[in-house]
Amino acid sequence: MTDSKYFTTTKKGEIFELKAELNSDKKEKKKEAVKKVIASMTVGKDVSALFPDVVNCMQTDNLELKKLVYLYLMNYAKSQPDMAIMAVNTFVKDCEDANPLIRALAVRTMGCIRVDKITEYLCEPLRKCLKDEDPYVRKTAAVCVAKLHDINAQLVEDQGFLDTLKDLISDSNPMVVANAVAALSEIAESHPNSNLLDLNPQSINKLLTALNECTEWGQIFILDCLANYTPRDDRESQSICERVTPRLSHANSAVVLSAVKVLMKFMEMLPKDLDYYSTLLKKLAPPLVTLLSAEPELQYVALRNINLIVQKRPEILKHEMKVFFVKYNDPIYVKLEKLDIMIRLASQANIAQVLAELKEYATEVDVDFVRKAVRAIGRCAIKVEQSAERCVSTLLDLIQTKVNYVVQEAIVVIKDIFRKYPNKYESVIATLCENLDSLDEPEARAAMIWIVGEYAERIDNADELLESFLEGFHDESTQVQLQLLTAIVKLFLKKPTETQELVQQVLSLATQDSDNPDLRDRGYIYWRLLSTDPVAAKEVVLAEKPLISEETDLIEPTLLEELICHIGTLASVYHKPPSAFVEGSRGVMHKRLPARTGSGESTESPDVGTAAGGSAPEAAPSIIPSQGDLLGDLLNLDMAPPTTSGPPPPTTGMQMGGMDLLGGGLDSLMGDESEPLGGDIGGSPAMGAGFGAAPAVMPASLNAPVGGGLGDLFDLGGVGMPMGAYIPPKIVWLPAMKAKGLEISGTFARRAGVIQMELILTNKAMSVMTDFAIQFNRNSFGLAPAGPLQVLTPLGPNQTIEVSLPLSTVGPVMKMDPLNNLQVAVKNNIDVFYFSCQYPISMLFVEDGKMERQVFLATWKDIPNDNESQFQIKDCHLNSDAASSKLQGSNIFTIAKRTVEGQDMLYMSIKLSNGIWVLAELRVQAGNPNYTISLKCRAPEVSQCVFQCYEAVLKN
Amino acid sequence: MISQVFILSSKGDHLIYKDFRGEAGKDAVNKFYEMVTALTGGQPPVVMKHKELHFVHIRQGGLYWVATTKADASPFTIIEFLNRLTALVKDYCGCLSEKSVQMNFALIYELLDEVVDFGYIQTTSTDILKNFIQTEAVSSKPFSLFDLSNVGLFGADTQQNKVAPSAAATRPIVSSQGEQGGKNEIFVDVIERMSVVIGANGVLMKADIEGEIRVKCYMPSCSEMRIGLNEEFSIGKSQLSGYGAAVRVDECSFHQAVRLDEFDTYRILKVCPSQGEQTVMQYQLCDDLPTAPPFRLFPSIERDSGGRLLMYLKLRCDLPPKSLSQELSSPDQSAELQPKNKAVHWEIPRFPGGAQLSALFKLEVSGLSAASLQEVGPVSLNFELPKYTSTGLQIRFLRLSPIQPGPSQRWVRYVTHSDSYTIRI
Repeated sequence: MTDSKYFTTTKKGEIFELKAELNSDKKEKKKEAVKKVIASMTVGKDVSALFPDVVNCMQTDNLELKKLVYLYLMNYAKSQPDMAIMAVNTFVKDCEDANPLIRALAVRTMGCIRVDKITEYLCEPLRKCLKDEDPYVRKTAAVCVAKLHDINAQLVEDQGFLDTLKDLISDSNPMVVANAVAALSEIAESHPNSNLLDLNPQSINKLLTALNECTEWGQIFILDCLANYTPRDDRESQSICERVTPRLSHANSAVVLSAVKVLMKFMEMLPKDLDYYSTLLKKLAPPLVTLLSAEPELQYVALRNINLIVQKRPEILKHEMKVFFVKYNDPIYVKLEKLDIMIRLASQANIAQVLAELKEYATEVDVDFVRKAVRAIGRCAIKVEQSAERCVSTLLDLIQTKVNYVVQEAIVVIKDIFRKYPNKYESVIATLCENLDSLDEPEARAAMIWIVGEYAERIDNADELLESFLEGFHDESTQVQLQLLTAIVKLFLKKPTETQELVQQVLSLATQDSDNPDLRDRGYIYWRLLSTDPVAAKEVVLAEKPLISEETDLIEPTLLEELICHIGTLASVYHKPPSAFVEGSRGVMHKRLPARTGSGESTESPDVGTAAGGSAPEAAPSIIPSQGDLLGDLLNLDMAPPTTSGPPPPTTGMQMGGMDLLGGGLDSLMGDESEPLGGDIGGSPAMGAGFGAAPAVMPASLNAPVGGGLGDLFDLGGVGMPMGAYIPPKIVWLPAMKAKGLEISGTFARRAGVIQMELILTNKAMSVMTDFAIQFNRNSFGLAPAGPLQVLTPLGPNQTIEVSLPLSTVGPVMKMDPLNNLQVAVKNNIDVFYFSCQYPISMLFVEDGKMERQVFLATWKDIPNDNESQFQIKDCHLNSDAASSKLQGSNIFTIAKRTVEGQDMLYMSIKLSNGIWVLAELRVQAGNPNYTISLKCRAPEVSQCVFQCYEAVLKN
Repeated sequence: MISQVFILSSKGDHLIYKDFRGEAGKDAVNKFYEMVTALTGGQPPVVMKHKELHFVHIRQGGLYWVATTKADASPFTIIEFLNRLTALVKDYCGCLSEKSVQMNFALIYELLDEVVDFGYIQTTSTDILKNFIQTEAVSSKPFSLFDLSNVGLFGADTQQNKVAPSAAATRPIVSSQGEQGGKNEIFVDVIERMSVVIGANGVLMKADIEGEIRVKCYMPSCSEMRIGLNEEFSIGKSQLSGYGAAVRVDECSFHQAVRLDEFDTYRILKVCPSQGEQTVMQYQLCDDLPTAPPFRLFPSIERDSGGRLLMYLKLRCDLPPKSLSQELSSPDQSAELQPKNKAVHWEIPRFPGGAQLSALFKLEVSGLSAASLQEVGPVSLNFELPKYTSTGLQIRFLRLSPIQPGPSQRWVRYVTHSDSYTIRI
């Protein structure tokens, strides 16, 4: 008798039969019936009609039957919530059973019944089970808290289950600890700011102890949790690493990878000269190598991770090249990954070995793999200069085989080699030309045409070769057409006498007979260039090309950092941040590697800032009219003065030249909008002067190198700045992840009556950024940049620049929500990026905001009481005089002070840049850290923002 | 965090479906089958994504074992888990097949319930699980010690597998039925896999060995087992052997239940084997084989006057001869041209140590040129060497304590497989 009979096809009326069997008196028959029901459920039949009958079988002392019934319940309870209530009593009773297996089973199943009504009945039994004497019940209950949280998070918090769960981290049983950690980790993910896990050295110590005792799966939970902790210093980091390293030799690859993740992250904090650092590096290699002896599925996942690790720390595996050599029976996806890692590890030391391997691979059967292998040879040549010659001769050998796809791939990579080492290997061109006829793929044809055009002066029959391509011009793909056009123009510039006809032919083909706008435009550009100024054409077309960089396929450093924090997870397989593929709230936090303690990166960056020195920072010029609402019309951004490398020459002509462009653009725009300009500044020449002055405003910050003292110096140098004005700390407004590597952080400040937006721009991408410009959307107080964004040097990779942007308040106004919200667009040579930030309203408080006492009294009375709002400022330990002077620093002026029954009443006034007055009464009671503040204003919307400023100013 | 686990037959029938977190629908099963069957060769099948759901699967026993997740879970955890799950099902049901899974669905559901809770993996240890599992396994075949037709021990059907009653290893581990009880058997297998690359000039370019010691235990109560390895066994490159006979490996890892207090001095592993199969030790050796690789090939590739490709292959086995009589030509050999793989498949059923075989293949290739001779190769070998370990690792003794009441049988078996044995031409 076997179970497979349950799967046999069922006839009509089967449900009735089952019903009868379920209600049978015989236990065996009942059990068989429930099994049949579950079998039907598995294959997707609807057996929900049997719900009451199955639930009736629940009250049994036969554990096997009970489990089967529960299995059914979990599946159908959701669709029949009312009926599910019927089961609650049994659950509650089972939670009190003498048998721990039954208690655990009940609490486990109840958590899986995702019916809201049931959850309230679940609380009491769960509370008991969390404190059960049996660890099996406790560990089940710990998971149940996570289940309940998923259904009703509020209930879990209200019932205090989270605290109980936290206590379980100190449980004596490692299984319980592991489950508690897992449950808390998951719950904490949905509350990113809560301190649920409360990782501190003590709790970390507990976790590390539990790590040695619990099951392999528990170890994974604990290690993953450890990875979220940031040690206080390198010593703590080292001691954790020391206790985690034994996990590297675990047989379970998931444990190994979780340990690798912790180590890779904490290593970041260790000084590189530490002996332990190199020991750790050595220890990381063997477990990674071991992973490659697993099944192909695991190998693939491991290789994707190793790919990341190799990019971050190539030194770990630099001696292990051989393990990445391809085995003939590896699945193709494993082979391709291995190939990629081989190239990443290739160096002068092992290049001979690698090349020999690659050459073997190029004769294999699988076409995709062969192509990739040929490409890899080219990448080696570009990466390891000493090997270039060897690579080229290897490629020539391969071309000799005349295997079509090998030849084509080889030509594509030889083109790249030419771009890296120009004028070095032209001797091979003859061989390449022999294979011209066999090229049928666009990429290979385009590459060959490029080579012919580039070296046209050394190929005797270049014109014939190119002409042969021209015959079928319209059948070629765009790639080939564009390349052919350029190549023939190059040829013409090099041998003008013989090729005039050819060039005319191609130009007319491109401009007259083609529907492709790219091709047409390029054709016209060449045409005009050639017809107006052949010398200039030569300079443009035959200009020296930049060498191609050796590693074009590296992952962006910011992304790599984040992925390193996700080693061993799906993110590391997809090579995408979790936010890209995990829905909703989970995983939105971007993880970052901890910063190394001690010397920062800043010391390594070249000190280019000194060039701009000389002129001391001075106060910003008077307010300059806004540029109008340019947002949305981003083309205008291109009109910002061209960025030049090095400090701007102080010749006014140059400045004016730049400004004319901008001024002209502005003129037309402002004419359209009939925006009134500032009284003292008229048309565009004056504007130009205004802008012209701008570069001198913040010279110290122009080329400021990363971080360090210069920023501090600058802060101190703010001339005439009232001391103690509140400036919020800089926060990241635009993470690099969202802006193709550009990170912007900043704050707002009011210095000497001028509002400034202080920005730190960091280039975390791998290419140079130039052409920065900024614009604001309309906002509540008409804030607008009073000048262009002064980033005059290109921002290199990993470089940081600090910029101060003076702001005016005469821009267009639109009410924002929240009131102090500011939407900003920043442009650079890569793209336009948008972000929004909130400024402290205190920077709009003007210096002449002190009201006459009489006026104050009258105004206070005049403003209706409805407009008064009251707030509490908690935990402020200043006395009233200290508070008053502190506030004065931010242009909040105390007009009068009164003391009534030990309570100081301060009356204050504030004037906003748009003329709105805010009156305040601050009550300070000696010994009471809580202040009360009443605000009265004709525009009560600002009260909330003003209150926030009070709080910020007083607490900083 | 695992969202769902399901088992599908190769035809896509639902055998087992279990939802742990209620975050994905049951239609995921069909979606998975659709995706996995639509995969082309180059696409890595390991992790697949459909909308918010990620599928991780393995194939074992002709079945798809699939887990899904919605979070940024660890694929390592999931793959390891699925592998353990198959091992568990094998332990409980005897073997892995569509039939055995179908017959034991209630048991597998029960197992899944204990093994995973709300997507968190709890335990995969047979020892712990046997306290909870109520359902009896249903065996597909009545057990017979003499039925040797079952699949070979090491996964492949071979004729040489008669070293031990292999069917014994394919019955359910956990069984309370009396008829099979009393068979106190324990199997210790030393399995090595070889990856070798021999260059065109006959030079050994790469030679790796991955080995493991696997214990399969049928004893209901066994408090401790001591496995003695070669006394001269050494780990790591630094230790130089004094008298050459040392057995050396580069890296070694152990199951967490193995106690190593006698390992350093006496090379004894102490295990308390739980019922079921487990790998107690894994080791690797790179590049430094104690003996010459077992097979050498002497190829010669030519083009004859008629434009045909001639491949003359001489294959020699360098293992020590076990007997004096040498079969110089084996009548059971066969060869086949596989145009799809562009390969010639030469099969040799038995190959005694010290013997040498040769073959001449003549191939008609259209448009054969001198350059196309460069394209020939490499030669890949698949083989299994019974009763042989290439590292030289041996098990000195196997002691059980306390001494088992009644008869107990202990089997120690060695085998070396080719993992990837390539000879370049």
